[in-house]
Amino acid sequence: MTTLLLLGTSLALLQNGLVVGAILFSLGLVGILSRRNLIVMFLCAELMLQGISVSLVAWSRYHGDFGGHVLVIFVLSVAACEAAIALVFVLQAFTRTGRLDSSAWQSLRETTLDRSIDHEIPSLDTSMPSFPRLTPAGRSPDTDEQAGMQREHV
Amino acid sequence: MTLFVHLFAGTGTFEFLSPGILLAVAVTCLAASLYLLLPKSGRHGKTSRRVGWLIGLITLGLFIATGQRLGNLGDEAVFLIVSLVAVVSAVATITCRSPVYAAIWFALCLAGVSGVLLVLGAQFLGVATIVVYAGAILVMFLFVLMLAQPSGLTTSDRITNEPMLSAVAGGVLLGLLSLSIGRLSAEEPLCCRPPSKAAALGAATVEKIPTESVDLLTSDQVARLGGELFGRHLVAVEAVGILLLVALIGAIAIVSNGLEGSQVETSSLHEGSRS
Repeated sequence: MTTLLLLGTSLALLQNGLVVGAILFSLGLVGILSRRNLIVMFLCAELMLQGISVSLVAWSRYHGDFGGHVLVIFVLSVAACEAAIALVFVLQAFTRTGRLDSSAWQSLRETTLDRSIDHEIPSLDTSMPSFPRLTPAGRSPDTDEQAGMQREHV
Repeated sequence: MTLFVHLFAGTGTFEFLSPGILLAVAVTCLAASLYLLLPKSGRHGKTSRRVGWLIGLITLGLFIATGQRLGNLGDEAVFLIVSLVAVVSAVATITCRSPVYAAIWFALCLAGVSGVLLVLGAQFLGVATIVVYAGAILVMFLFVLMLAQPSGLTTSDRITNEPMLSAVAGGVLLGLLSLSIGRLSAEEPLCCRPPSKAAALGAATVEKIPTESVDLLTSDQVARLGGELFGRHLVAVEAVGILLLVALIGAIAIVSNGLEGSQVETSSLHEGSRS
């Protein structure tokens, strides 16, 4: 592990880590802007937090102190609090509307905005996913309906 | 501009590809592939998803080409593999139609992120990410999904709000961030701005704290991280403890209040639920 960890010039490692963090952050941003399921939106927020954590640790490695590590620990604990409170809110929203859709709450929108209506909803993909199947082997057993009703053991 | 294109430097035929152009192409490809991958209304769902994954792979190749070389081939391979796992499963997280699958892809993304943290030398955080996120937070998400998800995919999982605009926004943000990351250089470290700037901000007595640049990778790293956490940041640790307690009490209070009052306001929300 030590040979693995002593890699590279520090600046190159910093830049690569920052790029990975930036990619994760922007992906989370795209998700939180476009998805409509409340729980997936919170997953995307967690994804943005992961990007931040990677960037902080990269800076910490570059400067050689523990400040970034300590910040990431605080980010982790605040994320745990946030997830607990947010999931309680999501459950409340679900019990009131029966849906996990964020547009179920669009009566809270600004008064100047129009109401968003889903015009074309894509058809449901009705084809079943291909589960693996066992090939039948041997003869089918005789079924005794009377025996099926009673149990041998408790 | 210190973004190197070592991959193309030797060949000479690609010299017209400056790193800026490569970056612009990569960001455009990323936005296009995210737009194709996001669930939206349209007939050619499966084809557009395949094309989206293809363009996404090209994007990843471009980002790898513009990235910095770490020097050692094995190190590069390890970093590349863990970051590819993280990024690809992050894309799958935001584009998956089923929320349960999205949560499971997010778990894989966490595994990749903890690998990146390990490569960057944060052993404790790499393990803590797996334990806290994948072990606790993600399981909580899955519990709520089991409680609240109606069977099958709802319509809101099959369409997205403004997939084009949000993909463009993400691409623009990533392009700006990568540009400024590429401009970082060792000659002008960001930590040591000239003191005139600090004085202009009103902090006349800013002294550079003599932090010796410690080697993070020694074997007693976790012990020293604990010393740092409970020494210099003790008050913050206490504050975080109080925050956790408040969050716990608040969650319980909201749930118990909501159970009493959940029948009250359902009539006012009928406009929303009929959409």
